Amino acid sequence: MEISWLQAILIGLFACLSSMPGMGGTSIGNYTLGRPLIGGLVCGVILGDIATGVLVGCAMQVVYIALVTPGGTVSADVRAVSYIGIPLAMVALNSYGLSPESVEGAALATSFGTMVGTLGTVLFYGTATINLVWQHAGWQAVEKRQYKKLYVVDMVLPWISHILCSFIPTIIMCKLGADVVELIKTTLPMDGIAMKTLFTVGSLLPCVGIAILLKQIVKAAADFVPFLFGFVLAASLGINLVSATVVASMFAIINYKIKMLSAQRVAGAAATIDDDEEDI
Amino acid sequence: MEKKLSKKALIKSFHNWYYGHLTCFSQEHMQTFGYLCAMLPLVEELYKNEDDKAKAMNTYTAFFNTEPQLGTVIVGITAGLEEARAGGQEDVDDETINGLRAGLMGPVAGIGDSLIVGTVIPILLGIAMGMSTGGSPLGAIFYIIVWNLFAYFGMRFLYFKGYNLGAKAVEFLIGTQGEAIRDSVSILGGIVIGAVSATWVSVKTSFTLYNEAGEAYLSLQNKLDEVFPGLLTAIFIVVCWFLMAKKQLSPIKVMLLLVVIAFVGVLIGFFNPGLSY
Repeated sequence: MEISWLQAILIGLFACLSSMPGMGGTSIGNYTLGRPLIGGLVCGVILGDIATGVLVGCAMQVVYIALVTPGGTVSADVRAVSYIGIPLAMVALNSYGLSPESVEGAALATSFGTMVGTLGTVLFYGTATINLVWQHAGWQAVEKRQYKKLYVVDMVLPWISHILCSFIPTIIMCKLGADVVELIKTTLPMDGIAMKTLFTVGSLLPCVGIAILLKQIVKAAADFVPFLFGFVLAASLGINLVSATVVASMFAIINYKIKMLSAQRVAGAAATIDDDEEDI
Repeated sequence: MEKKLSKKALIKSFHNWYYGHLTCFSQEHMQTFGYLCAMLPLVEELYKNEDDKAKAMNTYTAFFNTEPQLGTVIVGITAGLEEARAGGQEDVDDETINGLRAGLMGPVAGIGDSLIVGTVIPILLGIAMGMSTGGSPLGAIFYIIVWNLFAYFGMRFLYFKGYNLGAKAVEFLIGTQGEAIRDSVSILGGIVIGAVSATWVSVKTSFTLYNEAGEAYLSLQNKLDEVFPGLLTAIFIVVCWFLMAKKQLSPIKVMLLLVVIAFVGVLIGFFNPGLSY
């Protein structure tokens, strides 16, 4: 599987739109196009194999399911995961002859994507650093009271940062990808320790993604119960995700009603105490 | 002298924020330029005098960063405050506006990161991945539509809530009802994520003991699954959580640790993906 120049250019454009300070804006860029699941669909359409793209996207999505970037600190760059990692993983699967639906296929995709994503943080800091130049121009515009220029500073000039830090790296990686995959394939045999480790890491990495998410939800040991409950629904009872969400919503509604009732009772009790005091 | 912002200016301000809050991000001034662009249409409509414009714009040159989607409410609030200031309300000055912005951006970022980025998006992605099983594009399309409608109209709602209610709009987020909603959503999130991990994460051991005749008499994976299906997966997730939440390790360090565990596991035969050409 070879990625053509046109395909590489299209993927490069999507890399500019997505990512953390991306040109698509946060909701459309980072949180839609940047998500590996969506990146998988986009790469699948561009490379002409939607099913493989989506499956690779799904496998990587688990690792980055809760990519929170508090205070602008990133542990992985979504443009690199979705638009460098996914095309490369698709090339690799094709070259190894693995089905993306198999456990091994998903593991290969995950370890490839995560490696690229972690290295991709360089691109994030690169973009943010070049943006400093535009912001400097912005401050001069504010000083001179040329406020219209702010739009250019905020929405046009950062494209240059992205051409340097998203567009060009993505094209280079997409074009080199096939050769690199071939090189890895010949130097590291599938049944060797290195490849076995790579595949095992691929199956372990999603645990980190889930754990990052749990960090948001679990404050005390009892908070693990909803998580384990959901786990049992799928693992033991074989309920699919959409149905599990319906079951989960039921519990969420019950919890909401109880919380509101107890809040009302507290408010009610407070009101009665006030009345008593007035009587005295 | 009462001044009223036109709907057109407010919508333009909202759109500038919706699109541009992070496009010119740097570590030094994260969302500051997005904020300036969001306030510009309002300032241009409220003030005719160049000096007044400059005075108003200078207010928003202070550093700003929050969870930008939920943070739309703060932009809405300042739109209302700027209108009041232009209308001659003496008690609204640079200090009130920037005090409020600085005071709100922390708490709103905390709620936004955990509620929207940490719960709502993963839930939607979880459902979408369920619908994309087998490589169907349906789940991805579902996510694109549902998330973007939710984000756009949710942010628009927050903007105008902030504009109309002022600082009271935040009470909705941190008040009793807000807390009940957040608590319930986190239960919903917990259950869905549990189902997502059981469906998409699979940690398996190949550890097997053989008798003298070479027949397997103990397969650890089967034994573990008899206790609790997917036990090994659940253990690995909880251990990762423990390392990050209780031991304060960064995700990258935990990933590196997993590489070591995988390597050792492969060496002693605990893990074996069972691949060959």
